[in-house]
Amino acid sequence: MPESVRDRWLSIGMSVLLHGSLIVLLAVGWWHFRQQSTPAPSVPINATVVDARTLKGLGSAATPAIKPKAPPQTQPQESPPPPVEGPPPPTPDEIAMRQQAAQEEAQHEAEAQKALQARQQAKAAREAERKAADAAAAEQAAETKQADEALAAAQAKKQAKAKKLAEARKKAAAKLAAQKKLAEERKLADEKKLAEQQAAAQRAARVADLQQSLQEDERATAASGALASWQSEITSRIQNAWIKPPTAQAGIKCVLNVGLVSGGSVTGVSIGDCNGDDAVRQSIQTAVYNAAPLPPPPNGIPFPHQLIITFQPTD
Amino acid sequence: MKPTPRMAPLLRILLAVLTVAWLAAPAARAQLQIQITSGVTNPVPIAIVPFAEGATAGTDVAGVVQHDLVGSGRFTELPRNKMPATPTNAADVKFGDWKAAGSDYVVVGQVVPLPDGQLAVDFNLLNDLTGQSIARQRFVGGASALRNAAHRVSDVIYQAITGIRGAFATRIAYIAIAGAAADERFQLVVADADGYNQHLILESKFPLMSPAWSPDGQWLSYVSFENHLSAVYVQRVLTGQRTRVSMRAGINGAPAWSPDGKKLALTLSGDSGHPQIYVLDLSTQHLSRITDSPSINTEATWSPDGRYIYFTSDRAGEPQIYRCSSTPGSIPERITFTDEYNAGPHVSADGKLLAMVTRDDSGSYRIAVQNLTSGQFRMLTPGRLDQSPSFAPNGASIMYAARPGRGEAGILATISVDGLTGLSLKPTQGEVRDPAWGPFIQ
Repeated sequence: MPESVRDRWLSIGMSVLLHGSLIVLLAVGWWHFRQQSTPAPSVPINATVVDARTLKGLGSAATPAIKPKAPPQTQPQESPPPPVEGPPPPTPDEIAMRQQAAQEEAQHEAEAQKALQARQQAKAAREAERKAADAAAAEQAAETKQADEALAAAQAKKQAKAKKLAEARKKAAAKLAAQKKLAEERKLADEKKLAEQQAAAQRAARVADLQQSLQEDERATAASGALASWQSEITSRIQNAWIKPPTAQAGIKCVLNVGLVSGGSVTGVSIGDCNGDDAVRQSIQTAVYNAAPLPPPPNGIPFPHQLIITFQPTD
Repeated sequence: MKPTPRMAPLLRILLAVLTVAWLAAPAARAQLQIQITSGVTNPVPIAIVPFAEGATAGTDVAGVVQHDLVGSGRFTELPRNKMPATPTNAADVKFGDWKAAGSDYVVVGQVVPLPDGQLAVDFNLLNDLTGQSIARQRFVGGASALRNAAHRVSDVIYQAITGIRGAFATRIAYIAIAGAAADERFQLVVADADGYNQHLILESKFPLMSPAWSPDGQWLSYVSFENHLSAVYVQRVLTGQRTRVSMRAGINGAPAWSPDGKKLALTLSGDSGHPQIYVLDLSTQHLSRITDSPSINTEATWSPDGRYIYFTSDRAGEPQIYRCSSTPGSIPERITFTDEYNAGPHVSADGKLLAMVTRDDSGSYRIAVQNLTSGQFRMLTPGRLDQSPSFAPNGASIMYAARPGRGEAGILATISVDGLTGLSLKPTQGEVRDPAWGPFIQ
């Protein structure tokens, strides 16, 4: 992003500089044009303004048209006027007067022609100057336009280049970002995949452990269940055989050590700690003997040689 | 150290091994430990082998013992025809045979004439399972004392096996009505606890009622309506010596001995017409009024420690049992709430149970007991018209008067405090009522 901002400011600067230059060039061009188009100091001309149309009619009716005082080389030769028939020929004064008038008129005509020609030339010159100026202006404008166009083209090119560059950079950045994102995604995917693999492995390990544990628990439970069942059976048999005397109430606790043989028969009974009376003692001994032979223990477990029974009535 | 995941299964294996080892330890140690917290209340099977009797005996001592023990509800006998043998001394008992026959215990004995003319009763209580002699004893007396000797044998056996002192060799007192209606005679009778060996203490044409034993068993108090007036008497059992202790205006009734034997609780109405409980000091004749309410208050009985008197009162409308201090000034506390009618209280010697007559929903009067600690109430007798409950001195049984059917004469019966075993006493001729179970004979 900072690069884009710098590029933008650079472009703006260049544009301002270019347009400034164009404005300066235009101003200079205009000043020259003004200097050239200023009319040169007019030459004083002594002429009489004659309508050309009257001149034309007059000339055609009396004498051939007065030839301008143009260089002979540039004035075509006029053919001699045709013979005229009519009034009687003038006297020599008249002729001389007439010739002088004609000369004066011709001279005047020539001067008018010359003035007209001068004006025409001046006009033509002005026109030429104007055209030249226009051409120059046009050329200048064209040049300016061309320059502007060139500048604009250059600017556009530059902008395009900058834009292209920016786009390229942006594209590159986007590409880089995309690559980076892709890399991250790949990395995440890889990590996720790895984590999943690890989790799966852990699950599998846990399942295996659990199964193993369950199997062990089942074996232990089976063993403990069999032992517990055996203990429960012995307990039940002794409880059912114990005719509890009225004095065997809560608070009485008597421990009985019972010797057993493998068949479950009682080989001897001795009373340990006991806070019961004689009736209680008698009853618990009788109960054990009545419960015998005790059921054999589960498979694989040898018959205990000694049974320790705690008689502790709860009511 | 924190266990690693791999250690968990190892720990489990170790625990499992330890568990199995622990559970199998009894076998490994060849020792098993168990705990017994309950038993059964079945009757104890016992064989009372007929005693060897001399030519002068004439009394089936073994039969009396068997009757006593089985009648208590705590024993079941091995019939004589199923006995494997009839030994009369321990040396002849073949242990194991009796267990096989269905008996845990065997009693053997002899009645031996002594040179001085008396008879010696020897017995031996044996445990067939252990092969041990549990109790052996000799009682000496005349031929007329053979039943009493038998009862004493029963007492010893009973205590040896149940832990409770036997009360077979005790006496009872009751009122019997003899003769036709026109010649009706009221009798104060003392007999053995099984109803045998009756002795007439007093006979009167006037009603007798409410006999009560003194704590030492030497005296009886009772109510006599001689001359149509009620009066309370105390009478020495052996000599017949008697003393009138109360003949006040109105009702004089329901005497009850204090545990120390120095006082009598009485029911006196005076002129008010409302019977009240009084305590009479027998040595000073001082009379203390215990209750004071405009209702009927009667049938006093003492707590074993002498601190309280339980009595019947209808102050709540129907008869109920109340308790108050045995000294004046206390406010009575109601004890019974189960039925609408509860009367005739009697407290067991250990002070734990209260026996009473209760009227059930069908209108029958039955004997019941209430635990004075927990309040638990238990109906004991099937009843119809059961009255006057009286605890045996060992608290194991209750004697009461019953009238089995309408129009039938009243009888005496016993019921075990668990309500499981009932027994009618020896049939008597005529009506019997108001039994009072005497104390242990010292």
